[in-house]
Amino acid sequence: MAIRDDFEVVAGQVRTVVQRFALGLVVVAAFVIMLIGKADTVLVEHARVLALDIASPVLEAIARPVAYANRAIADLREFASLREENARLREENARLLAWQTAARRLENENEGLRGLANFREGPEASFITARIVGDSVNAYMRGALLNVGRRVGVAPGQAVVTGEGLAGRIAEVGENSARVLFVTDVNSRLPVLIERTRERAILAGDNSTRLRLTLLQSVAGVQRGDRIVTSGHGGSFPVGIPVGEVVETNEGSVRVRPFTDFSRLEFVRVVDYGVTGLVSGSTGTPAPQAAPAGTPAPGQRVR
Amino acid sequence: MRADGVLAGLDRWGRAALPGSVLLFFVLLTLAPLRAPYLSDTLPLLPALVVFQFSLATPERLPGPLLLAMGVLLDLLLGGPGAPVGVSALGFVLIRAAVVANRRYLVGVPFLFQWIGFCILMFGFVVLVWAFTTLWTWTAIDPVPAIKQYLVVAVFYPLLAPLLARVRARDPLNVPELSRGTARPGETTT
Repeated sequence: MAIRDDFEVVAGQVRTVVQRFALGLVVVAAFVIMLIGKADTVLVEHARVLALDIASPVLEAIARPVAYANRAIADLREFASLREENARLREENARLLAWQTAARRLENENEGLRGLANFREGPEASFITARIVGDSVNAYMRGALLNVGRRVGVAPGQAVVTGEGLAGRIAEVGENSARVLFVTDVNSRLPVLIERTRERAILAGDNSTRLRLTLLQSVAGVQRGDRIVTSGHGGSFPVGIPVGEVVETNEGSVRVRPFTDFSRLEFVRVVDYGVTGLVSGSTGTPAPQAAPAGTPAPGQRVR
Repeated sequence: MRADGVLAGLDRWGRAALPGSVLLFFVLLTLAPLRAPYLSDTLPLLPALVVFQFSLATPERLPGPLLLAMGVLLDLLLGGPGAPVGVSALGFVLIRAAVVANRRYLVGVPFLFQWIGFCILMFGFVVLVWAFTTLWTWTAIDPVPAIKQYLVVAVFYPLLAPLLARVRARDPLNVPELSRGTARPGETTT
């Protein structure tokens, strides 16, 4: 009995010590986790992807009813202005039909000229349509969570577009989930062209709704209303995806409004451009290393 | 005094697991694409609100390791590239410790005092997360969005807190220490 009593006394003392230092221990553990995260970024990346993969089915279950509710509210709002909307659309339709004729003519002409000049087109893009199941919009980040992942061929660095224009790029990829970093995020740097002058620049986000255009050779040439498109330099981005338009030109700082309305995104397309030779089509299998990456054989379509 | 049987066991288990489950729910909710203008701004701070509110009533059901795990999960889900993982965990643990240390001023006092206490602690939490994120990524992060988030959640607190406090109202253990366990079976107080 005495031994058992002694044991209980010691156990009680140990418990008291642990309870007394519990706070300190947990605080130390939090710091250790932070340090590990700083030292071993690959491990943290894996943990992030795992967490996203686990959370995305739950989020999808939440996202669907929320999307329906949002859509119902939007529908109700639209009912009010149905007549005006109809008139506006009819007018726009007439204008677009004229554009379509012009585009057809230009396309034919372009094709003819390409044939004459023996022009080789770049690789063709394929799309993966994804639903946004989660928002990662907070004080420190602008992004979203998609319900597609490595299994259907999504890879880091791919462009994410909407009907209006570029939304962002893929930052992290899990088995069945991926995280998009919007162009408005503070970490986003995008090589772009000013469509009118064909001048190169870098478009940077700063977590606000406006983007900053930097590294211009001459700021003076930029005007309000200039369209900004992707330049396709240094990455797997296709050329000429519309990004936004210039809304403000002050001394040395040019602000750009993105075309994409980030507050009501529901579906996006991930552009699988296949230019790096690492991702082939939508199957996700590595492409055979026949031609050196970056220099596809003339006329070859990486798809 | 403990009731036996499967139902009673389930009841006890449910009570013990409830704060953790609510916290997990709110951690997952931070990513939910609610497109409500102000509501979605508050989402990243709601787990901290839950930790505060449950620490008032039942801190023993939010043990340190659980807070640690939830904070790490929140950071993993929320964080962008390079953001510190574990800073929310640190914040949760400190909120709980601060509440437990100041129970005197926070428990059983008018709601206004709890609100003030929440505002003070949450400000500390926001500053902590902002400071660590700035240090960790070594970039000047604009503090205005974080402050805005804080203001919205401070205004939001009275809407959510009574709801979470209801959990505590039905807790049989939530009676003053002195009167606990003195009643005999069948005896009722008048």
